Amino acid sequence: VNLVEKILARASGRAQVTPGEVVVADVDCILLHDLSCYLTAKVLEEEVRQPIRHPERVVVVFDHHFSPPTEEQARMLQANRAWARRHGVHLFDCGSGNLHHVALHGGFIRPGAVVVGSDSHTPVHGTVGCFATGLGNYSHAALGLPFGKAWFRVPELVRIELEGETRPGVTPRDVALFLTGQIGEGGMIYRALEFAGPYVEELDVFDRWLFPLITVDVGAKSGHLQPDERTLDFLAELTGHRPEAVRGDGDDVAETRGWEVSGLEPQVACPPTVGNVHPVPEVVGVPIQWAELGGHGGGRLQDIRLAAQVLRGRRVHPEVRFNVVPSSRWVFTQALREGLVEELHRAGATWFPPSTGSNQAINMGALAEDETMISTHARNFPGRNGSGRMYLASALTVAASAVAGCLADPREFVR
Amino acid sequence: MATFVEKVLARAAGLSEVTPGQIVDVEPDLYMSHSASWRCIRALERLGTDRLHDPTRIAMVMDHISPARTAKTAEDQRLCREFATRHGITKFWDVEAGIAHVVLMEEGLVRPGMVIIGTDSHSTIYGALGAFGTGVGFSEVTATWVTGKLWMKVPGSLRVEIEGGMPPGVTAKDLMLWLIGQLTADGATYLSVEFHGSYPASLTVSERMTMCNLAMELGAKNAYVPPDDVTRTYLSERGVPPEAYEEVFPDPGAQYLRTVSVDVSTLEPQVACPHTVDNVRPIGEVAGTRVDQVFIGSCANAKYDDLVEAAQILKGRRVAPGVRLLVTPASRQVAAQIARDGTYATLLEAGALITNPGCGACAGDGGAMADGEVTFSTANRNFQGRMGSYRSEIYLGSPATAAATAVRGVITDPREFL
Repeated sequence: VNLVEKILARASGRAQVTPGEVVVADVDCILLHDLSCYLTAKVLEEEVRQPIRHPERVVVVFDHHFSPPTEEQARMLQANRAWARRHGVHLFDCGSGNLHHVALHGGFIRPGAVVVGSDSHTPVHGTVGCFATGLGNYSHAALGLPFGKAWFRVPELVRIELEGETRPGVTPRDVALFLTGQIGEGGMIYRALEFAGPYVEELDVFDRWLFPLITVDVGAKSGHLQPDERTLDFLAELTGHRPEAVRGDGDDVAETRGWEVSGLEPQVACPPTVGNVHPVPEVVGVPIQWAELGGHGGGRLQDIRLAAQVLRGRRVHPEVRFNVVPSSRWVFTQALREGLVEELHRAGATWFPPSTGSNQAINMGALAEDETMISTHARNFPGRNGSGRMYLASALTVAASAVAGCLADPREFVR
Repeated sequence: MATFVEKVLARAAGLSEVTPGQIVDVEPDLYMSHSASWRCIRALERLGTDRLHDPTRIAMVMDHISPARTAKTAEDQRLCREFATRHGITKFWDVEAGIAHVVLMEEGLVRPGMVIIGTDSHSTIYGALGAFGTGVGFSEVTATWVTGKLWMKVPGSLRVEIEGGMPPGVTAKDLMLWLIGQLTADGATYLSVEFHGSYPASLTVSERMTMCNLAMELGAKNAYVPPDDVTRTYLSERGVPPEAYEEVFPDPGAQYLRTVSVDVSTLEPQVACPHTVDNVRPIGEVAGTRVDQVFIGSCANAKYDDLVEAAQILKGRRVAPGVRLLVTPASRQVAAQIARDGTYATLLEAGALITNPGCGACAGDGGAMADGEVTFSTANRNFQGRMGSYRSEIYLGSPATAAATAVRGVITDPREFL
């Protein structure tokens, strides 16, 4: 029985489930951000009119706004706060960080859990062995909040085996981008993905994070790694509580696909979509005006350290503005302790409050026509950031490009 | 026998002397424009000229919205960047730099005896270094770009003599709020306000900036603190030797419309209550008022000294539950200083949300309020609707009072934390 079947059987009170079957499962955690909370709460209050069954399982994080720029947005956050207080759900206000990082740091995510959220990148929690997926606001309002449940068609599992060792200058983000390009945006519709093999097993948990993160970008329902000792140690250190491991067993998979990553070059997702992935050397030289570390997969301490490797002894190009957006207060504090805040600032970067940064350009990140941003964000669709173009890459490539003033190969900057 | 403003404007107009009420054409030394620079550029296009009198006197700082959150703003900012490049305007600071006034002073561009105009009403702040600074409209700046000149009516002068030792927990901000409460918002309309006496002489440039900044809220045309060794040290630390400027002092027998004497030794922390800056009460009368948000920022009070003042109270304490503390450092230099000395960590650990440098919530770049919400702010304006809803309220006070208020969640006398 694979991990997804095991989790969904447990959560739906069945002895076993099979792919294609529809189950109604108990959800262990519902994640809402400031935008989805508002819409979900509206439906719950106006149409469903039921109390929240398990308020302790609901986590609201204001991450798209770090501070409301307009009265209308202030009203939205005010309504969210009042709603969260009234129902007794967990609320993390502006400046706490990115929804998924805050939920993980807060100890809300445990191996074997069913985690749902309005954010399409919710599958990222498969990193620690959850069945995690994004659902619409109406699903939360109709089933998740009043009944603590969600229905799923049990997905078929595809195992993605990765092996090999990447060369210097090539990071897990590059491998994840490469996979997105290889699989394609519609390549895994409604499949569950299990990332396995020596390459991912050797990674730190926050680097493994980048793989379940891409599942929605290839159309998959969920993505996970089997929790191992490293996962449990990580959670114990992060939250002060060592959880039980829930693991799948056997080879109950519909398909196995494998990639060898050793020869990989740094990768970049080019406009206009996340699947338009090219090796960096193909696009080197494209002028950029903006660079940003931030977003679901990019404001990690790892990213900040990688950027510091590039910026040490260098300056951000005079025609580039380089934004650094920590993914959580913990990351920001840690970066301060390591002297990275001052170091990157002096190199010309600008620090922003923990949030999703330029994601959807709510507080920042609107581009003029013909302007180009390279970032660690997860999305690059047209219109998402004003009129400009978005390239997505690793923290190394983003930092190298910020220094060069154009898309640059990070291997020229790090040994 | 001339006041500061009479002397400084006479020099800038090329006249031996001027008198209050006289209209003169002055040649400003520096023309500052902030995020509204794009308006100046559009106005220039309408004038049908591309000829600039002296690009070296143009200073642009993209401070009010940093960075852009709409494509329109992004286009406006790009227009400014391209204009600066095309015209060789080297005094250009982009969205990451911070508040224009603070940036220009840190960069050593503001010097005693200069005449500076800016597209921001709080350009009176330049008086902190003994310069004449005044706010003008963007079309006036555009005209000055082209002609190098701007007409002005010579203001009369108000002399404020300030003596006494400031009690602990009470600051230059409190003094200015008290003065604005006493004289009212039109107490110095179109006057040059000179600060004299042992108190201003004892202040840092940062504190003098707060005073001259707030003088605007008296209706002042400009403000002035006589240059002294504090001024000279500040400038020489920024690579500006005394030979690079000419200090201007009022003559001993100069004529003032009015002289006000203040003794600060019994002053208490002051709070400007909604919805005008001159609605000032001593802290005791408003202590206990509930707040939703505390904003430590703006050209009045987000300099290094101000953030340290707040951090002294916040150290080892936490922002009250349900209260949002928003801190916006005035400039990159300030942000670098607080990152280095641990103030940044202190603020973060107390629960503050620290934004990138800039005008921040004071200019509507974040910090908007919904109906019924209350902000305690270190800025210089509390007009109804300035920070979001028309049914929200803004109280103004010092960084120390702001920090104490953030800790308790209600307006709090900072002296309780001394």
